[in-house]
Order: sequence, then structure tokens, then C-alpha cells
Amino acid sequence: MSPAKREGLVYGLGALHAAARGDRMMWALHRAALSNGIVPVVPAVTVAEGYRTEIRRDRIGELLAGTEVEPFVGESARRSGEVAARCDTSDLSSVAVVELAERRNFAVVTQQKPVLRAAAAAFGHDLVLYAV
Amino acid sequence: MVTKRSVSLDDEVASAVEEAARQDGVSFSAWLSSAAEKQLRVRQGLRGVAAWEGETGSLSAEEVAAGEALLARLRSGMSGVASRVRRR
Repeated sequence: MSPAKREGLVYGLGALHAAARGDRMMWALHRAALSNGIVPVVPAVTVAEGYRTEIRRDRIGELLAGTEVEPFVGESARRSGEVAARCDTSDLSSVAVVELAERRNFAVVTQQKPVLRAAAAAFGHDLVLYAV
Repeated sequence: MVTKRSVSLDDEVASAVEEAARQDGVSFSAWLSSAAEKQLRVRQGLRGVAAWEGETGSLSAEEVAAGEALLARLRSGMSGVASRVRRR
């Protein structure tokens, strides 16, 4: 069976850090997405984490200029909180990324973390991940 | 706040927008506004890429091609891990 196609990209904290450190593949992927009319999405909680943990905030700003920041509210926040509890993690940013990927059928771009797979399993989602 | 503008569209485009708006469950105006917003994001995003390139050097043709190939893989549902792209 061939893998299911994805409609877009969601960036996790790893994508923001990769852009901030000048990872050229990350920027090439971002350019490719925009050139193909795809606006990557970032959960608001991930944006907050990015600005909390990254020194090169100017580069995060350059990356985010071409993204949609999705509010972390309502049903998506509730689902993320419940799955974070089931996965015994306080990493709400990662769980929110997987929640968004599951809901919108997106591929994930972020750093490899066990919590991603755990959250995907909890959501019953087949995670497609580019690990930066 | 909403601004009213009079815009002209090709008949075929207008029909296609009407159909798309109906399928998406939004008004004609909301659909057009959303499409314009997306286009503006793409434009701003490519300016962001250009700003980064201005600081670190333009992406080479090889790097651009690698980004396109990676995007195609992800869209087709295949995972991957970072690999280095040779810098120009």
C-alpha cells in the first residue's frame, strides 16, 4: 500500500531552531514550500517556545514571515492537553505539532523526539516526519 | 474591520471561486480574502528567504533542487532525516 499523501507542512520547534542556526536544507525546503503555494503552519505554542529558547530571534522572524501561526485554543488545545497527559509529557509544543498534523493531514518538520511517535500513536496518526 | 472593494474577475474564475467557496462552506468574499491572504503570506515568506540569503549566501541550484525533492517526498507521505547539502 502506498503512503498517504500530505496536504502541507507543520513546523515544530526543531524547524525553528534549524532555521535560526542557518540550516540550508531547512531554508531550501521552506523556499520550495512557498514556491509551490504551500504556507507551512506553526502552532502558537511552538512559536512561544521558539522565542523562549532561541537566541537568533531575527531568523525565526524571517521564517515565520512565510507561515501561518495557528492559535492554540479550544478543541485543539484540549486534545493536545489530553494526549500530553496520556504520554506523560509536558512538551505541549511537540504534542500540538502532532495534533495539527493529524487534524490537517500535514507532514511534520522538526527534530526527532520519542514524544512525537508517542503522541502520534495516541492520536492514531501515521506520522510523516522530516527530522532536521 | 472589512473594506468593500469592487473587483473584476474572468467569468471562468468567478465560477470556479463560487464552486470552491460553496464546497468550503464560506462566502465568495471570504474565499477570495483567504486566497489573497495566502498569496501575501507566500510573498512575505519569499522575502524572508531572500533576507536570510542576503545574510548567508543564496541557495545554489543544487540546494533549491534538494528542497524541491524533499518537499515532494514529504507530500507523498515519506519520512526522512536531514542530510547535508553541499554548499556552493
